[in-house]
Amino acid sequence: MERARAESTLKKALSFSKADEMEAFIGGGSYSLTRFANNIIHQNVNEQRYQLSVRSVFGKKTGRAVTNKFGDSDIESVVRTSETVARAQPEISELLPVPEPQLYTNVEAFDAETASFSPEARADAVTKAVALCKKNGLEAAGYFSSGFGSLGAYGEVAPLAVANSRGLFAYHCGTDASFSITTIGGDSSGWSEASSWRVSDIDVPKLASAAVEKAKLSSKPKPLEPGKYTVILEPAAVAELLADMAWVGFGALQVQEGRSFMSGKIGERVFGPEMDIYDDVYHDLLRGRPFDCEGMPVRRVPIAEKGILRGPVHDRATAAKEGGHSTGHGLPVPNTLGPQSASVVVEVANGVPFEDLVKGTEKGILVTRFWYVNVVDPMKVILTGMTRDGTFLVENGKVRSGIRNFRFNESVVELLNKIEVMSVPVRSGRCVVPAMVAREFNFSSGTEF
Amino acid sequence: MKDLALLAVDTAKARGATYADVRVVETKLENIGTKNGKVGSYETQDDVGFGVRVVAGGSWGFASSDDLSRKSVETTAGMAVETALASSKLKEKEILLAPVDAHVARWSTPYKIDPFTVPLEEKLSLLFKVDETLRKVKGLAIAECSMGFAREKQLFASTEGSLIEQELLDSGAGMVAIAVGEGDVQRRSFPSSEGHFASGGYEIVKRLNLLENAERTAEEAVALLSADECPPGKKDVILDGGQLCLQIHESIGHPSELDRVLGTEANYAGTSYLKLQEYGKLQLGSEFVTIVADSTLPGGLATVGFDDEGVPAQKWNLVQDGLFVGYLTSREVADVCGDTSSRGCMRADGWNRIPLVRMTNIGLAPGTWTLEDLIADTEDGIFMLTNRSWSIDQMRYNFQFSTEIAWEIKNGKKGRMLKNPNYQGISTQFWKSCDAVCSEPHWIPWGIINCGKGQPGQIAKMSHGAAPARFRQVNVGVTK
Repeated sequence: MERARAESTLKKALSFSKADEMEAFIGGGSYSLTRFANNIIHQNVNEQRYQLSVRSVFGKKTGRAVTNKFGDSDIESVVRTSETVARAQPEISELLPVPEPQLYTNVEAFDAETASFSPEARADAVTKAVALCKKNGLEAAGYFSSGFGSLGAYGEVAPLAVANSRGLFAYHCGTDASFSITTIGGDSSGWSEASSWRVSDIDVPKLASAAVEKAKLSSKPKPLEPGKYTVILEPAAVAELLADMAWVGFGALQVQEGRSFMSGKIGERVFGPEMDIYDDVYHDLLRGRPFDCEGMPVRRVPIAEKGILRGPVHDRATAAKEGGHSTGHGLPVPNTLGPQSASVVVEVANGVPFEDLVKGTEKGILVTRFWYVNVVDPMKVILTGMTRDGTFLVENGKVRSGIRNFRFNESVVELLNKIEVMSVPVRSGRCVVPAMVAREFNFSSGTEF
Repeated sequence: MKDLALLAVDTAKARGATYADVRVVETKLENIGTKNGKVGSYETQDDVGFGVRVVAGGSWGFASSDDLSRKSVETTAGMAVETALASSKLKEKEILLAPVDAHVARWSTPYKIDPFTVPLEEKLSLLFKVDETLRKVKGLAIAECSMGFAREKQLFASTEGSLIEQELLDSGAGMVAIAVGEGDVQRRSFPSSEGHFASGGYEIVKRLNLLENAERTAEEAVALLSADECPPGKKDVILDGGQLCLQIHESIGHPSELDRVLGTEANYAGTSYLKLQEYGKLQLGSEFVTIVADSTLPGGLATVGFDDEGVPAQKWNLVQDGLFVGYLTSREVADVCGDTSSRGCMRADGWNRIPLVRMTNIGLAPGTWTLEDLIADTEDGIFMLTNRSWSIDQMRYNFQFSTEIAWEIKNGKKGRMLKNPNYQGISTQFWKSCDAVCSEPHWIPWGIINCGKGQPGQIAKMSHGAAPARFRQVNVGVTK
């Protein structure tokens, strides 16, 4: 939905309001995905959809209603429903008034080619990747997606445009493309993935080639005893760990409730001195939405600098409790989760090429990615999960062989105190992170493949 | 709606589809959350749209829209055909579908009280009473209560002549008590970690006895802060039904999905240890393990009249006395395991997603034990309750689960409370170690409301019936 239509639709919704205050957002967009497995395209889907979410306020009472119908009567109806719901609610004593108009940083993230990338173009790229796999006696599975707007991976709808009865209006529409490939041999597999706001940034042949090499290298995997090993974690593995750490610990409400590893430790050094972690939606590789669900501008937030905790991300409610400012990380009001960090960036002053991490390792385990990572202890940020799609033994600076996959149980806080060297950061999912070499990573058991 | 549905399949056929179906789906949701005496979240949502699935050029295509105009229906059906033809550039064989009778039918979830007619004030009143009871317990930091209701009206039509209307309804509620200590956070939830959800109306919420269980739930959360850690080692483990629900889900349910066995989830959810060569041969569990798939289960979250391909609901065994004997199938993959028709497991997450093979209700058949006798029969064990964390490898062999709470069992008696309990194992070894399952009165269909699968991602709901069961010599306390 283009800016003018989003603005006029939100204005129309506001014009129907009989409440003391009203806030509304439109989310949605277009999303297409070509999925392949067993060297054929087995699923090919397109969707285009939008939602209107309206929050009405009477004094300290508030209520929200959502619709995907955009006729005038439908818009009026959803406004009335939100008002009815708001009146039926008890008061929330700390409910804040909707914010005043804000200034936003312009984020250039819309690419016309990506927005209109066709099923034929996706099929052509997939065909070339599959051909490479077939040539190497492997089977390929994966997807190529493209689209624009604010639809999440599970169809969740984030704001594309926000407006309120105080005159605030914010709009951002970016594009996004992702390619992911798993290559499967008789007893091994490989994987690679890339995402960008520009489909032309995605080098499908290079990604396919990397995944093919991993599957070939990891054939005839050897069983290795679980235990503590030096690990070389590729960026995808690092991103899995840090995204979960952000989920359980980087939000101000979690810190205020004493449920975060950061609680009571702001200003203390909890990571190694080389760790600089930010929440940075403006990073050139991410280019995310510059405002949150209330329309507050997103700030670049230092989470940790030189290993010292600087602070969590805030929404207006958590900031008000501390007399500070929102960092623009708010979810739809009201909510029980508090502000969320979603753009984790690790900055590395002297990152080395990835190849040098392997060359510099005398004995270690190279991990392509983790799978099914879940939280065992949120205060210590102990996570568990499995290695997947390319786990290797490195000896004397060379990849010696594939090994069977491991389960790990490891504290990410402890891990970030055991880093020896990091590579140049790259994008993985919604994170920008380096590969890392870390000592004494705890693999607690093995599996059958 | 019927006219638009028929226009979609007719248009697809006219544009070159050899098969087409359309689902028009209208959903209504209400989700309420309270936190520490205040409304934490509230949302009501209405959503409608349609999705057209076609076979053209021997391949699949799918397109969807929330614009129900005739022009949009024609455009969307055409886009589905165009997408299928693009898919056909990379195919090895034509899509063939197992036969199904054309059904013209209506089916609705049975219920007593329509939750959308219950005043918001009444729902909030119950949640606030529970919240207040939780927070009366000294030392409790956070009380969270929730309720959720979902109605889905579906209209399915296909080029094979089916025209099926269904109205599905589910309801549920729950509470979470959180205690915060020095560097420690402990939680207890009721009835399970995600609350309890089932197909039906507001009567489900009324039956949960939330208020009666609030004080104990909060007391256990606070007591966990000073409880001993679950010791590491090999122990006999008794799992309550709420934890077994997820054990069944992850280590038998997902591996039984024939599409992932065949590799179509290899890039995301993964594949399966239940390979075709194991079908009818693998002794997956002990003689006490019989796993039943049942789309007709009263109250089940996946209970339907027909699946999203128009295949009637069914009941069959996945595991019989420990032997692996059944898959979850669709019309496309049924013949791969030698079946002549689909088991009816295709479901889609709304109108904008293509149907996938999804778990239906899958339960562990009840055994003969009472829980009291099972505890009395256990010399050195740990009784673990309520899931807290889960993880399993992509072929579904190696798993690790944490529960919220456990009790030590020594010489047949329930002893000290233990915190941070967890256990780890390999699926087949674990199920083979099962030597006792509790009886029918202990058996509850526990609901899962957030099962993810597919690219783009889809969420599905299902129930897993289970009674407490015992597993011998399991690795516990394995964090380090």
